Amino acid sequence: MAILEVKNVSKFFGGLAANSDVSFSVEQGMIMGLIGPNGAGKTTLFNCITGYYPPSRGEVTFDGRRMNGLQPDKVCKLGMARTWQKVRPLAKMSVLDNVMVGALCRTNSLKVARDVAMEQVKVVRLEHKLNFLAGGLPIGERKKLEVARVLATRPKLVLLDEIMGGLNPAESEELIQLIFDIKKDGITQVVIEHDMKAIMRISERIVVINSGEKLAEGTPAEIVATPEVVAAYLGSEH
Amino acid sequence: MRVTLSATARRGASPLGLGLFAAAVVVLLLFPQFVKSPYALHMMVLFFLSVIMGESWNILGGYAGQYSVGHSAYFGVGAYTTMILMTAKGIPPWFGVWVGVVVVVGVALIIGSICFRLRGPYFVLASIAVAEIMRLSAFNLKELTNGAEGILAVSVPPLTIGGTVITDFLSKVPFYYFGLGLALLTIAVTWVVEHSKLGYFFQAIREDQDAAHSLGISLTLYKNIALVISAILTSLAGSYYAVYVGFVDPNTVLPLDLSVQIVLISIIGGIGTLFGPVVGALVLVPLSEALRSNLITQAFFSMGLVSQDSKVGIFLQENLAHAHVLIYGILVVIVILFMPEGVLGFVTRLVQKITRRDA
Repeated sequence: MAILEVKNVSKFFGGLAANSDVSFSVEQGMIMGLIGPNGAGKTTLFNCITGYYPPSRGEVTFDGRRMNGLQPDKVCKLGMARTWQKVRPLAKMSVLDNVMVGALCRTNSLKVARDVAMEQVKVVRLEHKLNFLAGGLPIGERKKLEVARVLATRPKLVLLDEIMGGLNPAESEELIQLIFDIKKDGITQVVIEHDMKAIMRISERIVVINSGEKLAEGTPAEIVATPEVVAAYLGSEH
Repeated sequence: MRVTLSATARRGASPLGLGLFAAAVVVLLLFPQFVKSPYALHMMVLFFLSVIMGESWNILGGYAGQYSVGHSAYFGVGAYTTMILMTAKGIPPWFGVWVGVVVVVGVALIIGSICFRLRGPYFVLASIAVAEIMRLSAFNLKELTNGAEGILAVSVPPLTIGGTVITDFLSKVPFYYFGLGLALLTIAVTWVVEHSKLGYFFQAIREDQDAAHSLGISLTLYKNIALVISAILTSLAGSYYAVYVGFVDPNTVLPLDLSVQIVLISIIGGIGTLFGPVVGALVLVPLSEALRSNLITQAFFSMGLVSQDSKVGIFLQENLAHAHVLIYGILVVIVILFMPEGVLGFVTRLVQKITRRDA
């Protein structure tokens, strides 16, 4: 069963088509990779899906419900949560408080929220930084904090926007393992990533976007064998 | 490791802090039994008023990060409603205050629906503009507000419960206790906010609106909740002030100066902290009074630093009181420059540093 369906979504900024006629669907529990060169429109697509932009055309359906026109907070409450490529820590709040804000999406009790937050902080292995201010964390830990905060909202589907960007190989490996852990919990994931090795390893299916349009879709093996994808990344000479 | 003041506060107040607070409340409760001077009581009333205004603003500005520079609007609405009801309709202020609260909730929601469409500096400008509209309306709606002449209440009807007179408001003592009660109320409300979901959501909105939005926080709803709480408490301050002074006009209860003063109490004391506005009021009220009343020049004379007949002495005596606004301004700039977290944050860091050196 498809938990997320993107149907003919287009997004125009004036005359510029950041996304045009993009369609794909994500099955419950799978990891879907979303790749494409810089400026291809991946983050815009995330923004259209999560309510930050209303799509100019097309339809987004999540869990059998039409999402067009819903505000981001509603989207989150319905069980679809996203991280930010440019991380957005709540700088003057502690790591635990950051994650608690996410947990408070589902409860009014601070005590319950604290328990949920502790659990998620442990999942991303930040428990040694519990009382540190989020603004003072190095980039790798900020990315982990983003993931913990999103998981604390108890989502059915998460959209991870380049959580490995700017990390060293050891940190990336940790996050790859984290993505596998999230899958084990039955949470569906859509992952934007530039690290090809990583995305080929984690994704069950991949959608390739170029200049706002869907270029290809398939399993990682099919994608690497598609000439158009190779051309988009390396130029047609190769 | 840097830990926020609010984060440490949330882990439960320290026994020392709680003890200090309880002791301060006891001293304040007994104060009028020992100090009878109307001047001292007047200063305390001004202090309480600053605490109430500062704590109220702090909920919206300090916790939710929405820097309203138009809080005079809520102060003025409270003050005017109570005074109009008292003088024109003969409704005693302890009922009028609550009508003021109802009116201010309506006003706040209208202002919120306009201003919260805007972010950052644009929100600040809109909040100033709306407060100015209120001030000019008060000037021009003469039937209701008596325009620039203002409204004068000759006397306050005595407070009675079931026929027994509780107080007749003839001395400053009842005002002292009302002020203390309201100040404690605003501190209590702030404490409850800080220790609830609201406090977390307000701070998340302050730190990053888009991130907060993506975590399931409705920005419109929670900004308006912060505004309504803040506006209600500010209107209580306005009503309290109006009844105490017995006079309102647009330039005393609705000016831009007042809005700025309200903001400064929190900024000087420590923004987004429970006791920041209390510290701010402790600094600002005596400071502005000392400068205004030439107390500093007198102190120089009595300490023998400057002779009363010397050229410097005569100069200070003639000019220092006139320059009190200037000096006040300079001191405020110094505090903001060198204590970005306010006096409370500065002192806390200092104490942390010293205790760490000992350890």
